[in-house]
Amino acid sequence: MDFWQRISQLDRRWIYLAVALAVIFPLLVPMKMKLGITPEARQLYETIEALPDSSVVMLTFDYYPSTVAETRPMSIGALHQMFRKNLKVITMTTIPLGGPSIADRTMREMAELYHKIYGVDYVNLGYKANYTAVLLGMGSSIESIYPSDQYGTPLAKLPLMQTVKNYDQISFIFIVADNGIVDNWISIVNAQFSKPMGAGVTAVMAPKFYSYVQAKQMTGLLGGMKGAAEYEMLVNKPAMALIGMDSQSLAHLLIIGFVIAGNVAFFVTRKKKESKG
Amino acid sequence: MEILGLWLAGFFTLSLFSFLYKDNPFYGLAEHVFAGLSAGYEVGLVYHSVILQQLVDPISQHWVNAAAGDHPGFHIMKIGFLLFAGALGMLMFTRFFPKASWISRYPLAFVMGNTAGIYLMSELHGRLIPQIAGTFVNLLNPLNLIIFFGVLTTLTYFYFSKEHTGVLGGSARVGIWFIMIAFGAHFGYTVMGRISLLIGQVQFILIDWLKLVKPG
Amino acid sequence: MKTKLPIAIAFLSGLAMIAVFILNPEKVGDMEGELLQWTTVIGGFTLLLGVVSIVRVNWRPVVRRETGWLNNAALLLSVAVMAIPSVLPVSWSPLFGTDGGSIYDWFFINLSAPMMATMFAMLAFYVASAAFRAFRARNAEATLLLLTATIVMLWRVPVGEGIFVAIHPKLPNLINTYVMGGVNVAVQRGIIIGAALGAAATSLRIMLGIERTYMGKT
Repeated sequence: MDFWQRISQLDRRWIYLAVALAVIFPLLVPMKMKLGITPEARQLYETIEALPDSSVVMLTFDYYPSTVAETRPMSIGALHQMFRKNLKVITMTTIPLGGPSIADRTMREMAELYHKIYGVDYVNLGYKANYTAVLLGMGSSIESIYPSDQYGTPLAKLPLMQTVKNYDQISFIFIVADNGIVDNWISIVNAQFSKPMGAGVTAVMAPKFYSYVQAKQMTGLLGGMKGAAEYEMLVNKPAMALIGMDSQSLAHLLIIGFVIAGNVAFFVTRKKKESKG
Repeated sequence: MEILGLWLAGFFTLSLFSFLYKDNPFYGLAEHVFAGLSAGYEVGLVYHSVILQQLVDPISQHWVNAAAGDHPGFHIMKIGFLLFAGALGMLMFTRFFPKASWISRYPLAFVMGNTAGIYLMSELHGRLIPQIAGTFVNLLNPLNLIIFFGVLTTLTYFYFSKEHTGVLGGSARVGIWFIMIAFGAHFGYTVMGRISLLIGQVQFILIDWLKLVKPG
Repeated sequence: MKTKLPIAIAFLSGLAMIAVFILNPEKVGDMEGELLQWTTVIGGFTLLLGVVSIVRVNWRPVVRRETGWLNNAALLLSVAVMAIPSVLPVSWSPLFGTDGGSIYDWFFINLSAPMMATMFAMLAFYVASAAFRAFRARNAEATLLLLTATIVMLWRVPVGEGIFVAIHPKLPNLINTYVMGGVNVAVQRGIIIGAALGAAATSLRIMLGIERTYMGKT
């Protein structure tokens, strides 16, 4: 068996080991490479920057714990910007497994950092099932879908919710999601209630949403950990996503190397077989 | 408790990763614990967000208002509606009794019809029309022209009611080139997404758990 | 009763939503909110179906001491430790309920969340393995896909971006504009248009009772 044949039959566990090392090494020895910002991320940032102080915005936590590496830094970046600008933030989730806990924890941490008061500066609506009904229902009355907040407090007792009855009082919606719910936000809330919105989504979903940005159904887009890192740069709060970019670089180079090696091995061994047979 | 939590998280993370080498009892245990906790999570969620917040609390509030003589008819009606919604939800459990399982079709049909009604309008009004409108914009701009031809040729590639010959065949042929570029981009993004999730877990192990690396 | 009534219910509840869309919500009054609230309540109960189901499936192996019953027992125990404290009143102890600091929250943060994240993190290894074994430039189309994937993989990370900038400073922007914002948008849009038509058609079929697989055997 020659070299290329051996390569083409390489045990998958060597590949796994190489990937693990490619991710671990840059965390131990950071390279801190320069990162560019896409126009879509900048557009999202600038739209929120342009909102008048004390405007009410909605931030959704439509993601599972499985994708927090990509999505949570986006939520944190958004909250840095929103709380710094003194925007009033209403959060909610359509995710039954973990969504409420992630929203609760993230909001508490960020509110503490910016000394924000619950019920006055921000409200966490929590979770309700059947997201199409939730999104549509909030258009006429948030209270009809959420009689109380995440913690069981009736909305009527929360000062912020006394001025916010439905989407009419919300200036912008920032969706952070790892699933198809973004389509529903666009097709229901943007289309029927003319609400401007932007999204931070996982890398797997991002290519699709370029189409909505081009059609002006969405104002800005963050795609995956790179998108999150861009937002961290924009709000000037470098954190986990930006740290992860070195590992991302090395892992991508490795995978490109795998693709090249796999193809060379494939063609060399095929050619040898053809010449023999 | 915080340290115990971190070590448990670390143990189960490594147990799951151990499957990459080969299947083993630690992976099996972690898999079952994970499924059990997920199911348990739903109980807490539904109990608080649905049973208490959407049924018990509003019913009690309406009852108090009705008893106080504040539009009692309205509040009694609201209580009736809420009890009806709860009853519909309970009917879903008839699925566990083969002879009565057909009853669960009622609440299911209600949800399906309701969602279908929302989708029917929102897909046409909120996705189809705006996306088509976004395709017909200033075709003198080269980027818009690429999008216009790309949409047209992609749609012809996916149009299977007529054989792909002649102009249709040519258009479909161009369509497949567009599709390959887009799918290539999608693959690139998918690789990125998967690597990011791994980075997240490696960051947890090295930074949060073992504290081998200081963030920043 | 078993089939026609559910079809009628589906039709009427769908029609109500269409009416809400066409008419001004103010004209239909509180009806929309009421119907949508019912939907969210039923949706909540359906989540519990899964819990009952998983408990039933795992109960039997434990009782019969079947192979691997310890894992099934661990699953049932996990359901219990998460569920029971979560439904007990917070007034009894701050460890109960679902808020931050509760047992429920502790198990979620320290076990559920990292395990779910790990499950998905493992996909990185599989995608790398697939890239090595299956990603072949067998023909022109596959080569195009492979080249685009490589360019995008490079463009999305700082090191690749640096390489592109060294070739030409505007290259990263051009990739974003013409590959992602041009060709990619065109194809995604074609798919979105097809999916929107498909979803609308399926919705209509459900409302008219043509599509009734959700009812099981009829």
